Amino acid sequence: MNFQKKQCVAMLLAGGQGSRLMVLTENTAKPAVPFGGKYRIIDFPLSNCVNSGIDTVGILTQYQPLELNEYIGNGQPWHLNRSHGGVQVLPPYARSKKSEWYKGTANAIYQNIPFIERYDPDYVLILSGDHIYKMDYAAMLRYHEQQGSDCTIAVRTVPIEEASRFGIMNTNEDGSIYEFEEKPKKPKSTNASMGIYIFNWKVLREFLIADEEDPKSSNDFGKNIIPALLESGHKLYAYEFQGYWKDVGTISSLWEANMELLGTEPEFDLSDASGNRIYARNYAMPSSFIAKESKNENCLVAEGCEIYGNICHSVISNGCIIESGAIVEDSVIMPNVRIEAGAIVRHAIVGEDCVISRGAVVGGSFGPGEEKSISVIGKGKVIPANEAVKPGEIR
Amino acid sequence: MNTTMGVIFANIYETSLGDLTNKRTMASLPYGGRYRQIDFSLSNMTNSGIRHIGIITKHNYQSLMNHVGSGQEWDLNLEEGGLEYLTPFAQGHNGFWRGKLEALNDAIDFFILAKEDYVVLSDSAVLCAVDLNEVVENHIASGADVTVMVKDGISNGVKQLDMAVKADEDGKVTDIAVDYCADESYLACMGIFVMRRDYLIRRVTEAVARSYYHFERDLVMYAFAKLGAKVNAYRFQGVALFNESTAEFFQNSLKLLDPEVRHGLFNRSNRTIYTTVRNEVPSYYGVDSQIDDCIVADGCTLEGCAERSVLFRGVTLGKDAKVKESIIMQDCIIGEGAELECVILDKDVVIGPGKRLCGTKEYPLVIKRGEIV
Repeated sequence: MNFQKKQCVAMLLAGGQGSRLMVLTENTAKPAVPFGGKYRIIDFPLSNCVNSGIDTVGILTQYQPLELNEYIGNGQPWHLNRSHGGVQVLPPYARSKKSEWYKGTANAIYQNIPFIERYDPDYVLILSGDHIYKMDYAAMLRYHEQQGSDCTIAVRTVPIEEASRFGIMNTNEDGSIYEFEEKPKKPKSTNASMGIYIFNWKVLREFLIADEEDPKSSNDFGKNIIPALLESGHKLYAYEFQGYWKDVGTISSLWEANMELLGTEPEFDLSDASGNRIYARNYAMPSSFIAKESKNENCLVAEGCEIYGNICHSVISNGCIIESGAIVEDSVIMPNVRIEAGAIVRHAIVGEDCVISRGAVVGGSFGPGEEKSISVIGKGKVIPANEAVKPGEIR
Repeated sequence: MNTTMGVIFANIYETSLGDLTNKRTMASLPYGGRYRQIDFSLSNMTNSGIRHIGIITKHNYQSLMNHVGSGQEWDLNLEEGGLEYLTPFAQGHNGFWRGKLEALNDAIDFFILAKEDYVVLSDSAVLCAVDLNEVVENHIASGADVTVMVKDGISNGVKQLDMAVKADEDGKVTDIAVDYCADESYLACMGIFVMRRDYLIRRVTEAVARSYYHFERDLVMYAFAKLGAKVNAYRFQGVALFNESTAEFFQNSLKLLDPEVRHGLFNRSNRTIYTTVRNEVPSYYGVDSQIDDCIVADGCTLEGCAERSVLFRGVTLGKDAKVKESIIMQDCIIGEGAELECVILDKDVVIGPGKRLCGTKEYPLVIKRGEIV
């Protein structure tokens, strides 16, 4: 069939287990984890795609895809319900010769070469489903074209003392990359890879096929494809990104990223008028009711809530009920949670559909400068009345 | 309920809501922080399995079409059936239709070409969450020609009702009054009717042939009084809010603060009321904000105080502002230290810092859309 060509196709890697999020990803893929009161992590890269004019997005799923699949649906909330292109969920599938799971990030794209070829793209944008940020991929694509690059990698500057935790791109003055070091002990520069790549499709295709033929390869972009491209003398450029970006792959970073939405001038302003809107699947819930006896200080509250208790420095998601006398501080409450009368939740992430029964205490307080250990309650758990969940405990 | 189709009248009572319906239909009047009146009629129909719905409009229906769109939020963007806008035909000698009856006649092909056996007709002034399956089943069981949905405790001898009925215990209607300030012995009609499709087509055609145009008077009452038709009253037990005047709209908005009314309209388990999505962020409550007994939608930035009020999507409430018993519609900005009491701010109103506005519960002060005070 003769399809209309697409300049750029985005491939969103959403198959990882996200095991560092512990109970939060027990039954769901990391990109489907709720964030910021009404979003899920995947809303950020998906909305960025649409806001950058990319209308063909493949979402590679593997681990616990059901919730994610339902959430994506036909892509309508992100305006990706297109008759040509749009959003498509791409799980591994059986083939006539060799059938297998996605072995690594590069293998996942390799297995979907036929999908990409249907659109005959010039460029392929590779994204991860575990980052919170707003970014104009179109600007990155323009940079890629201007530099005549084969592969452009988005980077951001990190403090030198933290650089050894990241994949570091060592660049020449013109932005071209001469060396890539994964978690270097002695970092030479501070350009950390954000896991966002634009490839010339023809080049990537060739390297994916070559990589697949190498039995020793771990089929990973960072470990295999990028080093191979560098070695063969292809042109790789670093694209510097200035705005807010956060990897929310761990409990503490997920908690921090939620807290960074708070304040009159938050570190990450979701409602920033100049920035692009983040779209999410909306559930039909009535507006929230805020009772006289409640007290809300420095918090975000989504719709569908009934708030009778006291909330301070927290994010409360859709459909939560906070009963009279309950206290929620420095916490992230995911959708449809009920916190009963007199319960106390501090420095915690409470998963979807949980019940914190009367008088239960979750988490604790920390002094300034003290390391905060976050308590986590997995999806659908019921904490019995008057029970204590210790600081840092995971249920 | 594939045997039933629906039709919604978008323009009813618009003159009695003054500035609020000056540039929009009754159906697109905002309610409850994020809804429009029509969301209730539409959601009731789709929740009851009605998948073929016409919306009859007369004028000022841009905001309505903008809101409902293809009907996708109600899963009405269907190949077969789905949503149809029945906009007016100018009728040569007399221009636009004069009443609902002529409007139905304008749209008669919509009914003739349909396949469903029954039609539910609904105004958009009365808000409720109802299972229309039960109403249609009640209609069929009663053997009546027409069923009207009615509510106790509304008629008071002062409020003029479009239609009021007296009925016996079995629901058999014994008296009908139209455009009448009926006393307590009457049941108030909620503007929702059920009849067979073929019956509707026949009655509409015959009434219009005699130059009649008033649906309640010339179809329902005429059939009842002159043709001996059997009319059945379905007594609705749930919450029903009649938003037929500015004062009623104001008071009914504040009734949402009562959990019984709120949960009666927005039942979490079923009967979801759908509306158009606006991708707003969750509302932000500042350190000094004080929000007491309020309905708050998404996208608000709240730094001041609000008491017993409804705050729609995207409202900004400045520091030290005080809002009491007021309805603040979408994207209004209330400046620092401003004070409002018993006020309805239509969309996009800006209240300057320190300004004070005050109405009363019976005569709330309405500020027109987009005004800057």
